[in-house]
Amino acid sequence: MAKKVTLLVGTKKGLFILRGDPGRGSWPCEGPEFAPTPIHHAAYDPRDGSMYAAVNSTWGGSRIEISRDMGKTWKTSKNPAFPEGSDRTFYQTWHIEPGHPQTPNVVWAGTEPAALFKSEDRGETWSIVKSLDDQPSRAKWVPGFGGMGLHSIAIDAKDPKKMQVGISVGGVYTTTDGGATWAQDNAVSGGERPDVFMCIHKLLAHPEATGVRFMRVHEEVYWRDPGETTWRFSTPGLPSNFGFAAAIHPRDQKTAYVIPLDGMKRTASPFGIGVYRTRDKGKTWDRLDKGLPEGAPLEAVREGMHNDRLDPMGLYFGTANGDVWASTNEGESWKRIAQYLPYVTSVHAATMD
Amino acid sequence: MLLHGAFRGFAGGARDVTLDAVTLGDALEALVRAHPTLAERLRDERGTLRPHLALFINQDDARLLGWEDAPLHEGDIVHVIPALSGG
Repeated sequence: MAKKVTLLVGTKKGLFILRGDPGRGSWPCEGPEFAPTPIHHAAYDPRDGSMYAAVNSTWGGSRIEISRDMGKTWKTSKNPAFPEGSDRTFYQTWHIEPGHPQTPNVVWAGTEPAALFKSEDRGETWSIVKSLDDQPSRAKWVPGFGGMGLHSIAIDAKDPKKMQVGISVGGVYTTTDGGATWAQDNAVSGGERPDVFMCIHKLLAHPEATGVRFMRVHEEVYWRDPGETTWRFSTPGLPSNFGFAAAIHPRDQKTAYVIPLDGMKRTASPFGIGVYRTRDKGKTWDRLDKGLPEGAPLEAVREGMHNDRLDPMGLYFGTANGDVWASTNEGESWKRIAQYLPYVTSVHAATMD
Repeated sequence: MLLHGAFRGFAGGARDVTLDAVTLGDALEALVRAHPTLAERLRDERGTLRPHLALFINQDDARLLGWEDAPLHEGDIVHVIPALSGG
């Protein structure tokens, strides 16, 4: 059966679902679900077909919603909750990450205040990962401009016990024992090791290659190869150092994508919206903008870009002005597949049979 | 108790609940017993009532009547309302 791609598009006013045809040429748009509530992130779990949505509501508090029928109906999970005695309470969810195929019922969530929660029952209930919460260095975490949250959960392709989390602003922590213990993981190649790295914007694990990581930080991007324990600086060639959205090629182990923004204006100005691709682990970058509006000062945020798993890979990003753009040829050319949506906060490409 | 707006949805579409309660706090407890899905929508994990929740007893803002300690009387109508704010 031909595989298809469904896009889960989170916006500031609800979740939209774009169900692509097998050729990825037509994208009927459904929704919004949960409007007018902001959706910080939504994810599809290829292991069992579940969908998860971070519904960060003003009314009734934030919650995580689950769909077991491809987005037709949703139910509310039991909220992530900070344990008794904690000085914090759950405010909202920043990211939901389905677990490794070897841990079929496990789902992870990153929250604000910054914490990692684990579900062992497919998102029905959540428990805080206390070993991370108990890190003495947590006292040094501070909020970034968007708050203080844990937004990146990078699970190794081969070994589910090896994973990293990224925190704004708290740096990277690594576990090699499934979350029982954690170590700060902020060492830069050739540099000294800071206690708390600069603000992590997105940290990705390669889905097939063990040990390969790509990291978008406030002012830099970094690469890590298998066996390395430091982060290798790879910004030269980008029009600015700043940005949020990032993606890593699902097969090629040297290719990744970012959408640079101006560090002060927080839009793609003056260079205009464009996706930048490296095919050599960040040594060089190519601008991919065929079909994109020339010079447009658009903006794509942290969860705003994602790829499918087809060949050639499809790449998708959403913008603050409510567009969703798609490339079905690995970024070589672009087509707008939705417009006039509310401010797009997340795009997740679900590849399904 | 009358549920308004989003809180009606959180209770599975229920519009109203008739219950016995001496105080507003008692009424909220009874409301959650009747509709458990409201538990985390009304309070956080510390038991604190969430912000952006307005509670009225008949036409009076419950905050001015003692909030959760506000006494209730036979026939009172408690309104559970998602509070609007901003401009």
